[in-house]
Amino acid sequence: MAEHVILFTGPMGAGKTTAIQSLSEIEVVRTEASNSERHIVDKATTTVALDYGEILIGAQEKVRLYGIPGQKRFNFMWSILQRRAKGMVLLVNSDAPDPIGEMIFYLDEFRDLYDRGGVVVGVTRADVVDGPELTAYSDALERTNPGLVIPVFTVDPREREQMQNVLLALVVNIEMRLAFGMATAARTV
Amino acid sequence: MTTDVDRIEAVPAPPMDFPVTVGWTQAAMAVSSVLSLNTPVHLRMDIEMHGSLLIDFRHHAFSWSTPLEYFPVDAVHTGLSTIPTTADAPPYFELPGQDLDGLLWEMGINSFGGGPAFWLSPGERYRLTRWPNLTRHSHNMRQVQMIAVLGNAYVSTAELAAFAGVDESEAQRLINALSLMRILTRSAAEPAVEVAPPTAAAKRSSLFGRLRKRLGR
Repeated sequence: MAEHVILFTGPMGAGKTTAIQSLSEIEVVRTEASNSERHIVDKATTTVALDYGEILIGAQEKVRLYGIPGQKRFNFMWSILQRRAKGMVLLVNSDAPDPIGEMIFYLDEFRDLYDRGGVVVGVTRADVVDGPELTAYSDALERTNPGLVIPVFTVDPREREQMQNVLLALVVNIEMRLAFGMATAARTV
Repeated sequence: MTTDVDRIEAVPAPPMDFPVTVGWTQAAMAVSSVLSLNTPVHLRMDIEMHGSLLIDFRHHAFSWSTPLEYFPVDAVHTGLSTIPTTADAPPYFELPGQDLDGLLWEMGINSFGGGPAFWLSPGERYRLTRWPNLTRHSHNMRQVQMIAVLGNAYVSTAELAAFAGVDESEAQRLINALSLMRILTRSAAEPAVEVAPPTAAAKRSSLFGRLRKRLGR
């Protein structure tokens, strides 16, 4: 069976579990436990291993959706998972003290996927706080990886259609980067 | 001494001086001119059956009683006027208003009849500088695919249409919109990227195509 692994990363409280619930066709396997870092994000529980959901495409192909714990002490898992991943949805919450800094932190941690162009950034809670403009995220991306145009959208992880848009944009951008990025690179060598 | 309200009411030309136009081409040209010149003005458009559309460029916002979901493609414009302002003047309307990008997307898609916008030149290739915020704009998956192409290579309108398998006018409408939103770079010097349009077999092997079909999009 063909499988495509998509990671959902980002800081605790950004909406990763909710996003997978919006997309998954199966009941999401959740591994939440009491949040021991309520001084950082005030929510009762948080993901401590992986969330898992999936979308079946025909009988022989599926998209596996993995939510990765946002707490940085779990980062030993991140390098293992990104080797298997086709792409990554990075969610950052606009009401964090430094959402752009958080975005850069996770892109550095997942640099391999980032350099492959396999990333979409979703900014959550943009409608409830007056956080940075989307152009500020794009400008920061341009500074860290010039010439690589990564999609950045505001998203509500509860909205299935929005999360489908995010997933489809991620997949098509990866395919076009493979088709055109490689051709451009070959021409400039 | 005049207040800002006095100024707004005094400056617009009488509606009878404005040639009534149908559609969004003239509006797009006016917006493009203001953005290109970086002129400190507001813009007001009077639209039959849809009231006044106000644009505050400094705050990248607009105010309009018509929701963009009901964007009137064949709007009848009865007035278009610029209102001078200054960097420290109060906003044209109560903020936050609506994000101007959403209006520019609709305006660009629905102007110039599928031909090139007047500010574009023959022989140019285009590349995206940032993605539009698609969760806030109505769009289809052909447009998403074309945006992804533009994010990864300089292409002409004809090349974009060929790769995406759409009419050139559909690709041109997208180019017009992204250009009006000022998120495209243009170059007449960039050579063609040697990538053949996808074959039927390649389309079948595309996860995007299969996932799109699976999700009914």
